[in-house]
Amino acid sequence: MDQNDPFQSALSSMVSSPTASNANGNNNGENIVLRELIGRLGSICNSGEISPHQPYSSNINNGNNNNNYYNNSANTSCYSTPLNSPPKLNLSTLTENQQIRAGNHFPSLAPFSSDPGFAERAARFSCFADKSLVGLNELDSGKISRVSSSNQSLKISGSNQQNKEADKKLFSRLSRSSTPENAEVGDSRENSSVSQNDASNSRKRKSIPKGKGKGKEASPAAKDANVTSENSAKRSKSEDEKDDAKAKASFDTNQKQSKDNSKPAEAPKDYIHVRARRGQATDAHSLAERVRREKISERMKVLQDLVPGCNKVTGKAVMLDEIINYVQSLQRQVEFLSMKLATVNPRMDINMEALMSKDVMFESRGSLPHNIYPSDSYPNFQSQPNAIPTGTDPPFTPNNFSAAFGRNQNVQLSTIDSFNETASQVKILATAQMKVEL
Amino acid sequence: MVEPSVISNPDTNPNASRKKRRKIGSDYPNGAAAEPCGNRWRTETEQQIYSSKLVDALRHLRRPDSADAAVRTVRDAADRVLAVSAKGRTRWSRAILARRLSLRLSQIRKKHKRAARPDAGLKKPAVQKKLPPLQRKVRALSRLVPGCQKLSLPNLLEETTDYIAALEMQVKAMAYITGILNGVPAAAAAGGGSLAD
Repeated sequence: MDQNDPFQSALSSMVSSPTASNANGNNNGENIVLRELIGRLGSICNSGEISPHQPYSSNINNGNNNNNYYNNSANTSCYSTPLNSPPKLNLSTLTENQQIRAGNHFPSLAPFSSDPGFAERAARFSCFADKSLVGLNELDSGKISRVSSSNQSLKISGSNQQNKEADKKLFSRLSRSSTPENAEVGDSRENSSVSQNDASNSRKRKSIPKGKGKGKEASPAAKDANVTSENSAKRSKSEDEKDDAKAKASFDTNQKQSKDNSKPAEAPKDYIHVRARRGQATDAHSLAERVRREKISERMKVLQDLVPGCNKVTGKAVMLDEIINYVQSLQRQVEFLSMKLATVNPRMDINMEALMSKDVMFESRGSLPHNIYPSDSYPNFQSQPNAIPTGTDPPFTPNNFSAAFGRNQNVQLSTIDSFNETASQVKILATAQMKVEL
Repeated sequence: MVEPSVISNPDTNPNASRKKRRKIGSDYPNGAAAEPCGNRWRTETEQQIYSSKLVDALRHLRRPDSADAAVRTVRDAADRVLAVSAKGRTRWSRAILARRLSLRLSQIRKKHKRAARPDAGLKKPAVQKKLPPLQRKVRALSRLVPGCQKLSLPNLLEETTDYIAALEMQVKAMAYITGILNGVPAAAAAGGGSLAD
């Protein structure tokens, strides 16, 4: 293919001098993009053998992919059979910065992936990486499937469901190895478009090993990621999670965004993404501490609204003092009230079952006028005759209700009041009066 | 290694057997709505529910022996009913419910411990650790809220929020009941007003 030549030349130039690719990068955006994609694919293809610069990728391949029916051995085997002694390309020497910058371009690769032959070329170039520029004609569908599995291995660390679905799709297709090349190309094409974004995710997650962008408190970071890579990684991660349809992410905008770090924390998908603001420290500990501090401060704000008289108070110490005092005072009030309740709580010898059932029945009546009747029919249950006129109660009004209540009280509390009766009365009156106050 | 974004309290309290345990994990699908929110204590229905349950519980109280015991039983009953009303979503409520069950057990254990270490009382207290004042206050607060002894500060503050709201509701309801029992007309207004600080 005639389009292979620029890629081939690009690849060779990249192989020869990785740093030169950086220099050329500003001129040929597309070529750089594709070159770095190829480099990434190649390094992933190499990931079956443990490469010193990519410890994470092998771990990711080994570790947590439940959907991966292929063993690592299978991966390595399918890689290694035609590649007896694949020379480790200098692609693996691409620094994380470069890879991440490659990651920045991944959104721009979406249009590329729609190119029908793109995946095929990518596949071939991955084997370029493996075979150190062996001719393309020797490639066949097996290699494309290898690329697909490499794409899939990129998706391993991705945790999106889309990933897994694409994963499963890919697997189903891979299992049928007899499918024609075109079908696989098409599949790998769409899968690669999915996987590229996720590859960028995985790439960034590899560079920030514990996914520090999660912003959790309890996750101590590995300290080997340098600050710049983390900056760019966080940037690109927030780009991905925003799911920008920035198909043409150019260098300029990327570089601008490197300076413009003023975006807030994203909505959590599977973990909390936190953004470092401008001028703030960006290592893992500071970020986690900042998240923790924000949690604490927002809770303190809630408490400030709850505790009376805390509006003017600033500072955690004084706020805590106020909170402690308030909780203590509330507890003392409860103690005091329970003492009062205990004094009006005489011996309870009377069987409460009947009253209980009646109370339940009374309580079930929700409407207010009905609540008059319980107080009227109460004399039926009480052993003492109460001089409550049943027929003379006025129609229900709040004032009359309390008047009737007062009458009841005077009659009943004059004698030794069994708590049971007042309790049941309290219940009904409580519900009634509370409804009155509503 | 993906952790959910909702804070999870490691719950080590043995729950009351008579109360159905609700796992914290069941709160996750609801997201923020399931977090202990102070607002749910402020509704009138909660107060009604609490009052009725408290009255029921008070009615079934054992006959106390002394005045102090009476106060304590009433207080315990009030706290227990409050914890039940919390529906087990908060740590302090579970701790209150577990407290009753494990009270006897802890007393027995303490007796055994003291028997095992006869020199415990003879030793002077160790060197007093002068924590920073903020930490001391946090410890004090954690002692006040039941069941929150070894909790991180954000979780502790969350529990405190819910606990304060619940306590306020409890005070209101008990004041109301006390007012009614004492025969104060318009008991709610008077009882609530006179007793509120």
